[in-house]
Amino acid sequence: MARNLLGIRHLTQDDIQELLSLSADFKLRILEKREVPNMSDQVVGMLFFENSTRTRVSFEQAAHYLKMKSANFSSGGSSMAKGETFSDTITTLRYERLNGLVIRHRASGSAALAARYFGGPVLNAGDGQHEHPTQALGDALTIIERKGELKGLQVSIVGDVEHSRVARSNAWLLSKMGAEVRFVGPRTLMPAHMQMLPGEVHYDLRSGIDGADVIICLRLQKERMADGMLSSITEYASMYQVNRESLRWANRDCIVMHPGPINRGVEVDDVAADGERSVINSQIENGIFVRMASLYWVFTSKAKSPDSPPPKLRVAKTVPAQPKTVARTAAKAKKAVAGSKKK
Amino acid sequence: MKTLLKNGRILDPSQDLDIIGHLVIEDTQVSEFGAEVDQTDIDEVYDCTGMWITPGLVDPHVHLREPGQQHKETIASGTQAAAAGGFTTIACMPNTEPALDNPALIDFILDKAASPEAGGVFVAPVGALTVDMAGERLTDLSALKRAGIVAASDEGYPLQNSAMMQQAMEFCVQLDLPIMSHCEDLSLTKGASMNDGAVSAMLGLKGMPRSAEEIMVMRNCLLSLHTNCQLHVMRVSTWGAVEMIRQAKYLGAPVTCEICPMHFTFTDEAIGEFQTHYKITPPLRTQLDIDIILQGLNDGTIDCISSDHSPHASHEVEVPFEDAPFGHSGLESTVGVTLTMLTHRGILTPLETIRKLSTKPAQILRLEAGTLKPGETPVAQVTVIDPECQWTFDRHKTFSKSKNSPFHAMALKGKAMLTFCGGEIYRDAMFPDARYTINE
Repeated sequence: MARNLLGIRHLTQDDIQELLSLSADFKLRILEKREVPNMSDQVVGMLFFENSTRTRVSFEQAAHYLKMKSANFSSGGSSMAKGETFSDTITTLRYERLNGLVIRHRASGSAALAARYFGGPVLNAGDGQHEHPTQALGDALTIIERKGELKGLQVSIVGDVEHSRVARSNAWLLSKMGAEVRFVGPRTLMPAHMQMLPGEVHYDLRSGIDGADVIICLRLQKERMADGMLSSITEYASMYQVNRESLRWANRDCIVMHPGPINRGVEVDDVAADGERSVINSQIENGIFVRMASLYWVFTSKAKSPDSPPPKLRVAKTVPAQPKTVARTAAKAKKAVAGSKKK
Repeated sequence: MKTLLKNGRILDPSQDLDIIGHLVIEDTQVSEFGAEVDQTDIDEVYDCTGMWITPGLVDPHVHLREPGQQHKETIASGTQAAAAGGFTTIACMPNTEPALDNPALIDFILDKAASPEAGGVFVAPVGALTVDMAGERLTDLSALKRAGIVAASDEGYPLQNSAMMQQAMEFCVQLDLPIMSHCEDLSLTKGASMNDGAVSAMLGLKGMPRSAEEIMVMRNCLLSLHTNCQLHVMRVSTWGAVEMIRQAKYLGAPVTCEICPMHFTFTDEAIGEFQTHYKITPPLRTQLDIDIILQGLNDGTIDCISSDHSPHASHEVEVPFEDAPFGHSGLESTVGVTLTMLTHRGILTPLETIRKLSTKPAQILRLEAGTLKPGETPVAQVTVIDPECQWTFDRHKTFSKSKNSPFHAMALKGKAMLTFCGGEIYRDAMFPDARYTINE
C-alpha cells in the first residue's frame, strides 16, 4: 500500500529520523559519486497548480538522481483550465498509471484530498498555508549538518507565521525532534489561537530571538500590505528584520535560514542573508537530497503510514477483470494447443 | 374514512398537553384526541404504543434550490425529504437562481410544491429582502407578501448596510412580516472557511472570527429593538450571540432565534483532515459555545431548531476545503440528531423538543401549523416519532438529491415513523407492518 507524505504533523519521530538518515545517506552517495537506488520503473507526476521554481526544480533533480521519470503538469496547461474538477484531474492521473504524485496547490488540505483519489503515494510540495514537509526536512538536514543534532536547540521562526506553511512544517518537525520552537511576528500576522501549534509565541523580535541557535526567516508577501495587515514595509523591517544589529541578540554561532525567495532589505539584510551565518544556499542544495529520500521513502514502504488518511477508491479495480469463463476457456484452448503439439 | 392513531404519547405544546391516548383523523382533519376517543367506524389503525404523536414538524429554514439549482435539489425531492424527516411545513429560502425577489417566482414555488410529484408538505416561501439579493434595492415586499411569502431574508448574502436594514425593518413592520437574518459581517470573513481558532491556525485555513457573527447579531437586535420589527436570527453559533439575544429579549425586542443540529453536535475539531461535510456558516465553534447553546436551548433563549437543509451536489463538495460550499442536507437527520443529542441527554423534555421543532417555528412565521387542535390547521398535520428507535443514518439512503451530510454513519436514537399531512404522506420502513391494520 501507498505511503504518503502529506505533512510533518502526521509523522512520528521514527519516520522523521528515517527520512533524515536516508537524506544524509543519499547526499553522501551523490557527493562521492556512488550508486543510489535505481527507481527507473516509477513515473512520478509533478502537479504544480501554483508557481514554484525551487521546489519544482528540486523535485525534478531528485527524480533525476533516482532515475525516475517525471511527468510535468501545470494548472495553466492542464485540463483544470478547461473546467475539470480537482478530483477528476487526480483520478485521471491515477488511470494514466502514474506511480506517484507530487502536488502543490494554493488550497490548504489539497494534498490530503488528492491522496484520497489518487490511491498511490502523494507528496505534498506545499498546500496553501498548511504544510510544506520537504522544506522542513531540508531545513532540518541543514541544521543537523551545522549543529550536530536538533535536540535542545533554540529555534526562532520569524515573520508572517499566519500565512506560512513553512513555519508550520518546521515547527512540527523541530518540536517533534526535541528542539524548542519560538514563533516571532507582529500580531496581525500571527494566528490569534496558537495552542494547537507547537511553540511559544513572541511579538517582540528581541525576546523572540534572544539566545537562539537557529533563526528561520519567513518571506513577507507584498499582498499583506494591500490587506491592511501591515502599514508599511519600512515599519515591518524596522521591527522584525533580521540584520547585523538584531543578530547580536541571538547566540554567537546562530545560523540564519530562509526558505526563499528572499525580499532583501525586508525580512533580512545583506549581512544576514550572505554572511558567514547564512546557510541559505545549503538549504537549497539539501532540498534535493531530502526530496530524493522522500520519493524513495513513499515508494518503498511496506506498511501504510497509520496517520495518513486511507486512500479511498472510487472504483474497485484499475483494469476490468477478465470474466472467469473467458479466462477458463482461454486456458483450455492453450492446453489443447499444447496437447496437440505433443502429439 | 377514519384513521386511528392508537395508544401513543400525545405531545401538543400548543396546549401544553402530554398524555397517553389516541388520535383520530377523519377525512383530512384531526377530529378528536385524548385518553378516550370514539372508536366506532374506524377504517385503519396505527398502533403507536411507545411512540409520540405530535403536531406535524415545522422547519423554518430549508433550501429547496429550485429554480436554478436543480442539480442540488428540486422542490419535489426536497419536500419528499421533508416528509421523510417528519416535517409537514417547511419554509424555503430565497437564495435560488434567480433569487425569490418577485411574485411570479413565489407562485412557481407554491405550484410546484402543490404538484402531485412533490412530497405533500406545505411550503412557505421566504422572499428576498433586496433585488437579486444584491443588497442594493429593496424588493416589492407587499407584492411578495400578497403572493404568499411568510418572511423576508437575504440569507447567505446578509445586508451589510445598516441604513438599508433599518428601512427594510420599517417596511416589514408595516407589512407584519418577520425578517430572517443570517448574521455575518462580511468584511471580517473574507476568504474564510471555518471558525477562527486553534484548529484553523493548525490547518492553515483562514478563520471567521466570532465577532463577525456577534457584531451583526447585535446590530440587527438593536435595529429590531428600535423599529419593533420582528427579527428571527438564523443559526446562532457562538456563546456571545446567545447572550446578546438573551439581552435583546430582556430589553423587549421582538427577537427570536434558531439553531441547526450541527452547531450543538460538533466542534471545529470535527473538521479533522479537511472534511468538507463539516463546513457550514456560521462555522462550527468550540465546546464552550456548545455548552452555552445547550443552556440557551434549555432556558428557551433559543426558540427553535431548524434543519438548515442546504443540499450541495457531490462534485461541489469533493473539492479543497476552502473551495467547498457551506452547509449540509439535514431534513432527514434532524429529528434523530435532536432526540439523540438533546432529549435523551435531558437537555430538553419531550414536550419542549416538539415545541422547538413544531409549535414555536410555526408561531414565529405565523403558520397554520404546529398544533393538533382540530380546525386550526388547513388539514391534519401529525407526525409519529419513535423516540427509542435505534438506527444509523446513511446519507446514501435519503430522499434528498444531495448526500452531503456530516451525520453519515452516526448511531441515532429516535426517528420519525409516520407523517400525515391530510393523509399519510410517509411511512418509515422501520414502522412494523404488524402495527398497521385495516378494519374491513
